Amino acid sequence: MFVTASNAMRPLARLATVATLATGALVSASPAFAGKEQINGQRPLILVQDVPNSQRIPQRGPRESDRVAPPTPEDLERIGPPSPNLPREFIPVPDRWRLADSVGIRSRWFDPYGQNILKGDRPVFGTQDWFVVVAAISDSVYEPRRLPIGISPNGQQKPGQNDQFGGGDQTIFNQNLILSLSVIQGNTAFKPQDLEFRFTPVINYNRIEVNETGVVNRDLREGSVRNDQHVGVQEAFVDYHIRNVSNRYDFDSLRAGIQPFSSDFRGFLFQDSQLGFRLFGTRDNNLLQYNLAYFRRLDKDTNSGLNDVNQRIRNDDIYLANVYLQDLPILGYTSQFTIVHNRNNEDQRFFYNENNFLERPASLGDERFRRYQVTYLGYNGDGRVGRAALTVSGYYAFGKDSHNQMNGSAAGVDANISAYFVAAEPSIDFDWIRIRGSFLHASGDSDPFDNEEEGFAAIFENPQFAGGDTSYWIRQGIPFIGGGGVGLKQRNGVLAELRTSKEHGQSNFNNPGITLIGFGTDFDLTPELRLSTNINQLYFADTSNLEVLRNQGQIDEEIGLDISAAFIYRPLFIQNIVLRLSGAVLKPGPGFKDLFASRQDGTDEFLYSILFNGILTF
Amino acid sequence: MAKALMRGLAAASLCVLAALPARAQPVQASLTVAEVQGVIAAVVQEAQARNANATIAVTDRVGNVLGVFQMNGAPARVRVSTGKGIARTNGLEEVQNTFAMLGANSTPSTRVAAIAKAVTGSYLSSGGNAFTTRTASQIVQEHFNVGEKFAPSGPLFGVQFSQLPCSDLSTRFAAPGAAMPGLVSATVGPKRSPLGLSADPGGIALYKNGVPVGAVGVEANGIYTIDPVIVDYDFSIDEILAAAGSALFPPPSDILASKITVDGKTLRYLDNDPSQLATNPSTAPAFATINGVAGNLVAVAGYNAAAIVAGQAYGAIASGFARDNSGTFDFVGQPVFILYDGAGNPRFAPRNSVSPATGGGGGLTANEVTTILGQALRVALAGRAQIRRPLTSAIQVTISVVDANGNILGIARTADGPVFGTDVSLQKARSATFFSATDAATNLGTFNSGLGTAVGSNLNGVPINRYVTQTRAIMGPSALADGFAYGERSIGNLARPFLPDGLDYAGMGPLSVPIATWSLFNTGLQLDLVIDNIAGHLLFADGVNANDINATCTALAATGTGITRLSNGLQIFPGGVPIFRNNQRIGGIGVSGDGIDQDDMISFLGLHNGGLALGNGVGNAPPGNRVDQLILTSGRLRYVACPFKPFIGSRQRNVCDGK
Repeated sequence: MFVTASNAMRPLARLATVATLATGALVSASPAFAGKEQINGQRPLILVQDVPNSQRIPQRGPRESDRVAPPTPEDLERIGPPSPNLPREFIPVPDRWRLADSVGIRSRWFDPYGQNILKGDRPVFGTQDWFVVVAAISDSVYEPRRLPIGISPNGQQKPGQNDQFGGGDQTIFNQNLILSLSVIQGNTAFKPQDLEFRFTPVINYNRIEVNETGVVNRDLREGSVRNDQHVGVQEAFVDYHIRNVSNRYDFDSLRAGIQPFSSDFRGFLFQDSQLGFRLFGTRDNNLLQYNLAYFRRLDKDTNSGLNDVNQRIRNDDIYLANVYLQDLPILGYTSQFTIVHNRNNEDQRFFYNENNFLERPASLGDERFRRYQVTYLGYNGDGRVGRAALTVSGYYAFGKDSHNQMNGSAAGVDANISAYFVAAEPSIDFDWIRIRGSFLHASGDSDPFDNEEEGFAAIFENPQFAGGDTSYWIRQGIPFIGGGGVGLKQRNGVLAELRTSKEHGQSNFNNPGITLIGFGTDFDLTPELRLSTNINQLYFADTSNLEVLRNQGQIDEEIGLDISAAFIYRPLFIQNIVLRLSGAVLKPGPGFKDLFASRQDGTDEFLYSILFNGILTF
Repeated sequence: MAKALMRGLAAASLCVLAALPARAQPVQASLTVAEVQGVIAAVVQEAQARNANATIAVTDRVGNVLGVFQMNGAPARVRVSTGKGIARTNGLEEVQNTFAMLGANSTPSTRVAAIAKAVTGSYLSSGGNAFTTRTASQIVQEHFNVGEKFAPSGPLFGVQFSQLPCSDLSTRFAAPGAAMPGLVSATVGPKRSPLGLSADPGGIALYKNGVPVGAVGVEANGIYTIDPVIVDYDFSIDEILAAAGSALFPPPSDILASKITVDGKTLRYLDNDPSQLATNPSTAPAFATINGVAGNLVAVAGYNAAAIVAGQAYGAIASGFARDNSGTFDFVGQPVFILYDGAGNPRFAPRNSVSPATGGGGGLTANEVTTILGQALRVALAGRAQIRRPLTSAIQVTISVVDANGNILGIARTADGPVFGTDVSLQKARSATFFSATDAATNLGTFNSGLGTAVGSNLNGVPINRYVTQTRAIMGPSALADGFAYGERSIGNLARPFLPDGLDYAGMGPLSVPIATWSLFNTGLQLDLVIDNIAGHLLFADGVNANDINATCTALAATGTGITRLSNGLQIFPGGVPIFRNNQRIGGIGVSGDGIDQDDMISFLGLHNGGLALGNGVGNAPPGNRVDQLILTSGRLRYVACPFKPFIGSRQRNVCDGK
C-alpha cells in the first residue's frame, strides 16, 4: 500500500515557514513589501531583520497568514537601518564596530539579542566588510493522526484481518536541526551586500509508528515502525550582487546553487529549495521586482523530505519568469504576473524510493513511461483593499504529455494538458480578531479515456492557505488504497493530484481536482497566545478518474468537513521560542466514505491530525 | 448541486443498465460455419501480406474447437520458453527433453498452442470484459504490474494451470483409450485446453453485437512464451494476425481490458493498434479459395476432426451452460446458471457429501450445499465487479462446493461469469480443502505417476515431498498435518517465488521454486503435481500416443470415488476457503471469475451467510483455527481479503471483519 508521502517529513516549505518565524539568517520576507504595508498602516509582516537584534522590540506573534513568506526577489534581510549616530556626542573610537564596546556593552556569543559577531553585527577576519551569520533552529514535531491505511495483500499484522482497511492510527516524531552559515561581503549598513556564500544543512531524525505492516516499507518484514535519519542540504548558494542601477540601490543580483524559492505568495505552484540559477532585482525604487530563474530539481530523501544530494539529479527542469508590481491596480496591492515552464523527461527508468515503493513512473494506468512539458500562466495578488486584505491566485496550465497513462496507444499520440486553478482568501480585522474566508478550485479531469488531461497539478505545492498545515486535508497525505500506487493527495498539499509523491513523483494531470470553501478566524487572546480556527468544506471537482481507477462507479464528490484549531504560544514574547498545538478532524463525507474506511471494523470514525510543534531559534 | 444531481441520476440509470444483463437471460449468439471460415480467411490474408505462415484455431465461448487451419510452411512445433534462460527439466520450460523421457523427441505442436490461445481469449472474456492472452500475461507473473519490483504477484497468479487436459470437470471432444474419459460431447463445455491457459499474445475474443461468441488463437512465430516487459509496445506477429481475425467480430470498445483497472492499473488488451493491420479483414478472400491452397484444416486429437463446425450459443443447454430450470436456486432472486450435460440433465446439482458422510459423519447435505451456493450467489450479485464495465456492474462468477475429499457437491454461477472460472472455482474449493486437511502432507507423499525416476517424483525428477519439507521448515514440523485452515490466499502467499510475495530479495515461498528457475512454466508444486498429466496429453493430442489420459489430475492417492483430491489441479490464487461444521473440516467453497478480492468475499461471506441461514454450525473455520494465527518470519499469511468497496449501492466497508 502506498504511504510514502504520508511518511515524508516536512519539506522545505516547512523550513520557509520556520524561517519566517525565526530571527536572523533564514528570514526570507521582502523588506520592500513590508515597507509598503507599513505605509498603509497594515499589520506588518514579521520582519525582524529590519531591526538590529539589539533594538528589537518583542512583538506579537505572527498570524497564520503573516507567516506566509512573500517571494524573495532580493535578499536584503541583513540590511538594518543605520544606527543612531549623533555628531554632537562624537567620541573618537578605533572604528564604528566598537562603538558598543566603548559604551560598555559586552557581546556574548550565545546572545542573539546583543551585538553578536555570529549574527553579522561585526566584521570578521580583521576586515571591514566580511560578516558571518550563524543560525540554528530546532524544529520538533510530534504528530498523532489517523489515516486510511491498507493491509498488504502479501501479509498482515494481526490475525483476523479479512479486509482491505487496517487500523489508521499513527504517530510521527520528526526532529530537524537546521544549521545555517552565511559569509557575507559588503558594508550592509548602507547598501545591499556584494557577495554572500550560504550553506544550510538540516540534520533530520524521523520516526513513524503505524498499525500495519507493509506501510513504512514495502517489505513487511520491516514491521510497523521506522526510524530514519538524513542530512539534507537545503541551501548552498552563492549570491553575487551584479550592480546597482539607481541611487536608491535598485539592483540586479545572481544567485546560484540550492536556494529556496516560492512561485507565488502562498506556495500554490512551486515552493521548494532547489538547485538553480536565479537573476533577480528591483527597479523604480523597488516598486518593481523581478525574477528570472532556472531550476533543475534534486531528488529528495524519501522520509525526511529534505534534499538528497547523493542521488542522481532529476531530469526535470523549471524555467520561470515573474514580475511583482506594487500598487497595482490600487495603492497597497501588489500584483504578480508569472510564466513557469516545467519540462519533465523522466521516461527512462524505474525509480523506487527508500521504502521500495515505485515513484516513477507511477504505478497507475498502464504504467508506461512518459514525459511532459507544461506551461503555467499565472496571476497572483496580495494586499489591501480598503480595510480588508485579499490574496488571489490564478493559473492556467497547458502543454503536452507524451503518454496518457489512461489512454495511451502504440500510435504514441501526445495528450493535451489544459487545466486551471483559482484561489482567493479575503480577511478583515476587528481589533484582536481576524476573520477570513477561503475559496479554492482546481479543475478536474472529466474523462480519463480522452486525449485531454484537465486536472490541475502543481510542480511542488506547499500551500499556506485555509489554515495551512493546521487543516487535516492540507496537512495529511492520503494513500489512494485500491486505486494504484499513488496518493489521493500529498502531505502539505491541497490538490488531489493522484501522484506518487511530491518529493519524487511526476505531475499527474488525470486527477479529480478539488474545491475548497472555508472560513477561519484568528484570536489574539494575549500577546503571547493566539488561537486560530478553520472550517473547510471539500469536494472533488470531478470523480471520473477515481471511478475508473477503482472500477467503482458512483463516487460522490463531497469529501467532507475539515475542522481545525491551533494555539500558538510564545512564552517569552519573542520569536525564538514558539510552541504550537493544533488539532484537526476530518468528518468524512459521502465521497470519502465511498473510498475509504479508517478503522478495521469499517466504521466511519472521524480522522484526526494533532500537531505538537516546538521551534527554538538562535 | 445540479451537476451532482445529474451525475447521480446518470449513475443510477447506469446501475439499472448494468443490472439488466444479470436479470435477463443473456442474448444467445454463436458463430456460423461461414463466420468461422471468415475469421480464418482474414488471418490468412493478413499473414500472407506479412509473409508469415500461421496456425489458426477458432473456438466458441465454451471451448469447442470450431476449426484449426494450418498454413503451408507454418512451424509445426513451438518452443516453450519464457526467455529467462531456464534449462530443460524445470517445469515446462524447453519441454523437448521432458517429452524425450516419454519416448518422443519433440515439443508441443503449434496446433495445440493455437487452441490454448483461443480458449484463453474466450474463457477470460465475458459480456463485461474483453481480455486477451496478453491480458493473461500481465496478471500471472511474479509482479503486478509486470516489471515493478517489490510489487506483489499478479492477481491470477497460477491461472495458466487451469482448464487442464486432465480435469474431471472439463468435457472432452473425444477421449480415445482413457479409462476415465469424463464427459464426452461435441457441444458441451467447458472444454479443456491442451496447455492450460496461455499467456502468449495471439489469443483474442470474438463478439457479435456485444455478445461473446468465442475467440481466435494464432501461433506463427513458433515460440510459446509470455510478455516479460510491458512498458513498451511489442510487435507480435501472432497478435497482429489474430487481430485481423478479431476485427471481424470485435468486442464493444467500452469493455476492453485497457479500460478496466485492477489496483489502479489498466490491463493490456493488444499492443498492436488495429490501424496497423496490413489488410482489410472484411475483404478477405473466400475460405474456399484458400482451403487446400494456402493451407489446410487439420485434425487435433481430442479437439477437432479437421472440420469447421458451428459454435454453440452460450446459454443454450447444448453448450453445457444454461439457466437453472429446476427452481433450486429461485430463492436467490435472480437467474442462476448451472452446468448441463447436453441432454438436459444438470451436471452438478447439489448433492449430499460423500466424505464425510452426512448425518453422524457431519458431511454437508444437498440442502446445505444449496443454501451455501445461493447465499454466495447473493453476495456476488450484490457486489461491485472489479473487472467488468460499465462501472457499477454486478459481479459475475462461478461457485463450487466440494466435500472433504474434493468430490463436487454443487456448482452454480451467475449468468455471465467468464467460463474459465468454472474450472478454477473448483480448483480453489479443492485446494483450500486439501491444504486444511490433517493428512495433506501424507497425501502429498502418495504421489506416484509411474513416470518419475523414483516413486514420489514426477517426470522431471522433482520429489513432491520436497514441498512438505520446505513448508515445515517455515511453518513448523506439524504443518500440513495440524489442521490449520488455509484460505486460497494463504496457499497463494506460500506458492510465490518470493516470501513475502513480491519482495525481490526475499527467498522463495515453500510451495514454489527459487526465482532463478521459477517461471510461468515452472511454478513449483502446482505444476509439479500435474506436469506428468500434461505431458501425456500433449503426446496424445499431437498424435504420438494413441491413448488420452484419464480425467483426473495429479498422481496422488485416489479417494473412494476414483478421483484424486486435486482432481482438476492445484490452484494458487485467492478465492476459496474450507467449510467447517463447528470444528470439523467438511469441505470447501471456491469462487472464480472476478477480482480476487471479490472471489475471496463471495466464498468467505457467502459461506458465512449460508451458515447464518442454516444455523447448525456450518460456516467458516473457527478464527482461532485459521492459518493467520501463525506468526512467520515473513509476517502472517492472509486468510482472505475482501474488497475495498464490496457492494453496489452501499457504503459498507470491511464487511468480512470479525467473521
